[in-house]
Amino acid sequence: MSNNIKSNRLEDTISESDTAQLLSNEEASTSNYTQLNRSVYFQQSDEDELTGSHGIRRRQPVQKFKPGSMNILSAKYESLDYDTCENHLLLDEERKRGYAFIIWKDIARWFVILQIGVVTALIAFIIDICIEEFSGIKYKQLKKSVDIFVLEDKLYIPYLLWVLSNICIVFFGSVLVAYIEPVAAGSGIPQVKCYLNGVKVPRVVRIKTLVVKAVGVITAVVGGLAGGKEGPMIHSGSVVAAGISQGKSTTFNKDFNIFHYFREDHEKRDFVSAGAAAGVSAAFGAPIGGVLFSLEEGTSFWNQALTWRTFFGTVVSTFTLNFALSAYHGHPGELSYPGLLNLGKMEPFPFQFYELPVFMLFGAVGGLLGALWNYINYKLAVFRIRYVSAPWLRVVEACLVAATTATCGFLMMFLLNDCRPLGEDPTKNPLQLFCADGEYNALAAIWFQTPEASVRSFLHDPIGSYKPGSLLLFIVCYFLLSTWTFGLAVSSGLFIPNLLTGAAWGRLLAVFIQYMLPNNTINPGKYALVGAAAQLGGVVRMTISLTVIIIETTGQISNALPIIITVVVAKWTGDFFNEGIYDIHIQLAGVPLLAWEPPPLTHTVYASEVMSHPVFTLRTVENVGHMLELLRLVSYNGFPVVDPPLSDEVEVTTYKRLRGLILRSQLIVLLQNKIYNENANTTWSNLNVDMQMFRNEYPRFPSIDELVIEEWEKSCTIDLRPFMNPSPYTLPHRASLPRLFRLFRALGLRHLPIVNDVNEVVGMVTRKDIARYRVWRHRGHMGMEELLLSSEI
Amino acid sequence: MSSQSIIIYVVLSLNSFNLKADILNVEHRLKELSTSTNSESNLEFLYPKECFEILESFSYSASNLTMCSIVNARPVRLCEKCIDKYLDFRNKYEELHKTSINGTTCSSVLISHDRLEVVLQYHNGIIEIWNKGNCNSCFDWNGNVPTLSNDTKHFNTLFNETMKCLINNFDPQNNATVCEKCMQYYLELDTFYSSLSTDAIGLDSICMDVVDSMNSTRSIWSKTLNCCKLRISPEVVFLCSAGLISFLPLIFYLSVRYCGPIRDLPKVLRESRFKQTILRSVNSRED
Repeated sequence: MSNNIKSNRLEDTISESDTAQLLSNEEASTSNYTQLNRSVYFQQSDEDELTGSHGIRRRQPVQKFKPGSMNILSAKYESLDYDTCENHLLLDEERKRGYAFIIWKDIARWFVILQIGVVTALIAFIIDICIEEFSGIKYKQLKKSVDIFVLEDKLYIPYLLWVLSNICIVFFGSVLVAYIEPVAAGSGIPQVKCYLNGVKVPRVVRIKTLVVKAVGVITAVVGGLAGGKEGPMIHSGSVVAAGISQGKSTTFNKDFNIFHYFREDHEKRDFVSAGAAAGVSAAFGAPIGGVLFSLEEGTSFWNQALTWRTFFGTVVSTFTLNFALSAYHGHPGELSYPGLLNLGKMEPFPFQFYELPVFMLFGAVGGLLGALWNYINYKLAVFRIRYVSAPWLRVVEACLVAATTATCGFLMMFLLNDCRPLGEDPTKNPLQLFCADGEYNALAAIWFQTPEASVRSFLHDPIGSYKPGSLLLFIVCYFLLSTWTFGLAVSSGLFIPNLLTGAAWGRLLAVFIQYMLPNNTINPGKYALVGAAAQLGGVVRMTISLTVIIIETTGQISNALPIIITVVVAKWTGDFFNEGIYDIHIQLAGVPLLAWEPPPLTHTVYASEVMSHPVFTLRTVENVGHMLELLRLVSYNGFPVVDPPLSDEVEVTTYKRLRGLILRSQLIVLLQNKIYNENANTTWSNLNVDMQMFRNEYPRFPSIDELVIEEWEKSCTIDLRPFMNPSPYTLPHRASLPRLFRLFRALGLRHLPIVNDVNEVVGMVTRKDIARYRVWRHRGHMGMEELLLSSEI
Repeated sequence: MSSQSIIIYVVLSLNSFNLKADILNVEHRLKELSTSTNSESNLEFLYPKECFEILESFSYSASNLTMCSIVNARPVRLCEKCIDKYLDFRNKYEELHKTSINGTTCSSVLISHDRLEVVLQYHNGIIEIWNKGNCNSCFDWNGNVPTLSNDTKHFNTLFNETMKCLINNFDPQNNATVCEKCMQYYLELDTFYSSLSTDAIGLDSICMDVVDSMNSTRSIWSKTLNCCKLRISPEVVFLCSAGLISFLPLIFYLSVRYCGPIRDLPKVLRESRFKQTILRSVNSRED
């Protein structure tokens, strides 16, 4: 309470003084040199840390915090430069090239999208086939072993074999992930979502990540973990898109000298959104679902032409995958061969008006279970961040989960003697175990195949195929296993495990309904499908794309209404308790993600409070030594370029008039190429100073410490005017937070200089400054909190 | 409109195959038709008589095969018992297709003319049962007449031996003796059966007679006689190792929780905000 009063008082002081301050220019800032010297002590006041800047609750007003906190933003993440820098070089280039170039670039874009679709589908095909073949071999051998040893009272031999094979395979995959490329862990959808939102997640679209991801997902699924291959395929699609569109590979140090004009964040991100969509499309055989996924989960900046191109990419991807798979399954050229649908073709199920409440009930159950799933996974993730962060520990953990999964499966087969006659249901590796001759163990049939095949079984088997008791035990086991598995150091997704859990409890409820209404014939596949949709909807909280994906992957449009009702109810129910699993993981990673909408009720938060205040500026003609000092001292990536002060008096404190904005990467390229005014006629008179110079270094610019700058160079100067963006977006200091937010979100800005009434830079707003205002919702309440920043997570 | 003209209209609009027929003959027959419309033989002038003869024999063969199939439905023996009728049925249908009178094939007369499609539907229905049971794979089709294939014969021998053994040794009081004595036969039968198909279930290629014989034997063996009891055993080693392995994660988590190195907590980054600058300036003024 006292805090509140205090903050209000502070608030008053500010609002009284800020305008006056900004105009009078006294004491606010000094010229650059003094700024640098003073920066050591410029933020010494402690008292205001106890409250938020304007009465917003701040949960941890301490200087240290426990890792695994949801309300800390990491300072390590940078934004993408979505905004085009309209400097002189760009204008020169435009003048030279003309309209022919625009047409050529458009054609090239379509060509790149075509390639993305094909390559993504081929990668998906390889992953698919590897998983299918290796799992087939594994389970066939295990079945043989069980068949032999069950008669000799030595079941522990096949059991240990299973555990051992799981551990070995998972060990390989998790070593790859933990030691070689940690960013390839998990499904990759959170990372792709961040990238599409405009955050540069380090190493997320590299070819090394792609390789680790592809191998990792094969090992995870073949290793018997409760994971799916769908999320990793989406990530793979993104990497493929980022790679192909650039026409070069930095990892292999190979430049194909094509697509130079796509080497910028703007173009690259557009391609990545198409690649993610192609990945969805290849994973589920759902082209429209892919486009909608890209729209719903990822891309913040969307336009009609991009949608159309993305759709082309997804269709190409599905087409290529179907072509390859149909050839593989011995039906070459049969592109609509029903075996290509991932969840198998569903018959249109008739539903009555009175069944809609039943679907809503399913949605509510899915939402509750999904929220519980997210909660358990969140707790596990926090534990992992705090205690299981060393790579070798993560490998050990993954192996233990693999062993436990096998144990669960084997114990269930052993303890529940659920026998079914052979031949009524399609089973690939029927395991007799303790059943009578001519029968097989129904639980062994679920465990001795990939999770995806199990989903198909639950969706298509007749109602009597599974006993309710074994279903219930399976649901509990698999629910816990899947939430335990997600977040391990293996690359596997959560779509299929959740679909499996949901299909299982949907089927259980169908059996229950059948028991209640013995006179009606209940179609268990219908409820299994609705349950699967509800469970997945409750976990990931997607609506449109999830519905469309499920419709496309079961090949039945008439099921849309039940599924959308279920998914929406599941989302609402789940949102009552916590957020979607991807958002939880994004928040744990401290990624400054911008939501769809600005926080409500924040029109009274002004730019002057949001911005970082002492701004580090550069003069239009700047001294190299100063530039170096500045780049080494601060980690900022954008610097306003200002008019030099009228007088050289050091102690006069003035704001200076904005002339443009220049990026750190541009400065580094300038320093690297020594574009100094002093040697304009000697060193770089024959050097081609154009956009190409900047594109060559993209996307990995050297750090400032890697540059070799001689002592004599420090007295040289650089004219920044031809290179800076001469007309950056700016806002006056009285602009409100929603206004800032909308500008950032809609234009994909990275830096926004804040100016006063006479166009002098008074502050700078970046993505992190805005993302720290976050809305929370919990059990019907909502509010806004201001997050803290840390550079150590 | 008189009944005669209706018939002429119908005939002309429906059919084109009688164009070659003698017009006088048609008129004569139409007169006949108009006098007794109920008689079915009156339509013979439209359809060649031979076709009807074939159709009739086809219908007999169909009913024979149907009867045979139903009679031999349980236990399934229809492949073996009804092969003659099947051949007859098939041949009659082929004949129906091939026979051509005055350039008019019987199939064009009898098939694809109305939405009922009686002949075709019955034919397909009967053939479907036959194919569903994979009946053709029971037989060796190399000779003129299909004979039981060697695999089927061998299976039948084994099956009969097993059955004989089971019947001879059956003792309602004590199942164990039957199990012991006939184990040899049963296992031989089972192994041979498994070797017949690729997927070991036998749904894909083995003919239904064999599948059904095997299923009933298995059912008698493991359910009625309860000879599969030996499979269930306590498996103590397995349970112990499973218990041990499921304990490992717990130990792992507890040890990393309490034995891990204590790390320094990450620091919060100080932000540089406008307000702090003001506060500082206010403070300095107060000082």
